[in-house]
Amino acid sequence: MIKHQLALLRRELWEHRSIYVAPIAVAVIMSLISLAGMITASTFDHELNLAILGASNIVGDSERQAALTIFFLGTSWIFLFTLAILTVFYTLDSLYAERKDKSILFWRSLPVTDAETVISKLLIAIVVLPLVTTVAIIVTHLVNLVISSVWIAIEGGDAAHLIWGSVALLDNWLAAAIVTLASALWMSPFIGWFLFVSAFTKRMPLLMAFMPLILVPLIELIILRSSYFAEAVFGRGGMMPLFRGMDMEGFFDQDRMQVNDELIRLLAHLDIAHFLGSWSLWVGVIVCGLLTTAAIYVRRYRGES
Amino acid sequence: MTSLITARGVSKRFGDVRAVDKVSFELEKGKIMGLIGPNGAGKTTLLKAVLGLTDCEGELSVLGLDPFRQRKELMQNICFIADVAVLPRWVKVTQLLDFIASVHPNFSRKQAEDLLSRTKVRNDARVRELSKGMVTQLHLSIITAIDAKLLILDEPTLGLDIIFRKEFYRNLLSDYFDGERTILITTHQVEEIENLLTDIMFIDDGRIILDQSMESLPASYVELMTSGADADKARHLGPIHEHSVFGKNIMIFEGVERERLAGLGDMRTPSIADLFVAKIKGASA
Repeated sequence: MIKHQLALLRRELWEHRSIYVAPIAVAVIMSLISLAGMITASTFDHELNLAILGASNIVGDSERQAALTIFFLGTSWIFLFTLAILTVFYTLDSLYAERKDKSILFWRSLPVTDAETVISKLLIAIVVLPLVTTVAIIVTHLVNLVISSVWIAIEGGDAAHLIWGSVALLDNWLAAAIVTLASALWMSPFIGWFLFVSAFTKRMPLLMAFMPLILVPLIELIILRSSYFAEAVFGRGGMMPLFRGMDMEGFFDQDRMQVNDELIRLLAHLDIAHFLGSWSLWVGVIVCGLLTTAAIYVRRYRGES
Repeated sequence: MTSLITARGVSKRFGDVRAVDKVSFELEKGKIMGLIGPNGAGKTTLLKAVLGLTDCEGELSVLGLDPFRQRKELMQNICFIADVAVLPRWVKVTQLLDFIASVHPNFSRKQAEDLLSRTKVRNDARVRELSKGMVTQLHLSIITAIDAKLLILDEPTLGLDIIFRKEFYRNLLSDYFDGERTILITTHQVEEIENLLTDIMFIDDGRIILDQSMESLPASYVELMTSGADADKARHLGPIHEHSVFGKNIMIFEGVERERLAGLGDMRTPSIADLFVAKIKGASA
């Protein structure tokens, strides 16, 4: 069972190289932008560079850590955005392409069940893609920090202190891993829906996946004058119960005139227990399970294959 | 003799259309059976039912298993080539061998590689880079390297040129078939497989209209080439099919002893293709 699953997961990576090519491409682009930025900065007046360095030396450790964390957040969201797009296209293609190129008949000639196959595709979307994204985020972060260190060293600064002494590596990385994996789990009903559409539709999976998400709320609004479906579907994007309420006023401690040490830690903003205990997470997971089961049955019972 | 496939009243409906209509037959171990029928006769549907790719009514047992409900177990002992286009185009030959080796308990990677080394198929090539004939060679090599009890071929040589077709069947007999294994094959190019079949089954409109061993065909069917008054006499014996070529009447008889036709013209056993036409036309007349 596990041997089959590993073979199936590897098969997905062979077929859908975008699973790792896309995050690597974004990582390379982000690193190049960072490098270009440093080179541009270096061509400026040397005095100005020294002034920036000097300023970094003067501000407190907490402020520097806050600045580095904000920089980290700025690069990370692009990976999350890429992950979202990648997940949509991967899941919609995963059970559609094999029917389009007729290879489904070959895959089904092997001693592998339909459930094993569909579950491997679900695992790619919910586990592998977020993990690859997390690794890409971490590697890009490290590359960017190394580039910054080199720049600081060239300008005669103390990179060990200014960068490596100030960056909250584990806090940032752990938070990135948690947010990425939690997002996939939170969005799992959509992943299930896309898998189902991918197994079901005869053509245009993208359109077939998104049209009902727009039409059903409209019909509900017109006929029932309510918007439960729209709230359930679109509301999901904005209310992941993982984040604590952000208190921006607490971020900067007015009395001490410095940032609040506790709040610059990303992990401090995540409430895993609340997330795992929220019923809407588990309702979503159940919806995902039902839709995945439906996808398995469609693959199995579809006579025309 | 053990029966690998037992079908009793197997039917498959698509809406109001009965693609397969109460079909019953048996396939015994060590046989090479040809399943012949016109387009839309239900061949592929019947094969899909046997392979567990589609649900059906009636009683169907393949290797003692319920094909639809026990597909995974079944596929450990069955192989099939459904169409040459079936291998995924993106896959590399090595990846394909890796994958099958890790999911198929009866696959010998070494044997597959040995067979492939005799062809022009390179290990690092992707399927999309191979010609149609090479894809079929690849598929046949894989299937030959699987120690399966039953091989099902559905139009395996469609779209191949004559050289690849001949080679396909030569390799099938020399590498795959060892008297222990059993083959069920459908094709339109009947004349090419005629000599390798041990059994033959005709299907038309979802029904089996002929099911017997090749050995028993000469006793059941006679083709008579005749003309003039002899033709009229022969016609009284009730040929199932008649046509004329170059002024000669060619008639096919079923269940008429050769002694009764003696002296009326030249007799021979009809070819599968001619018999097929006679039976199909006869059935629809």
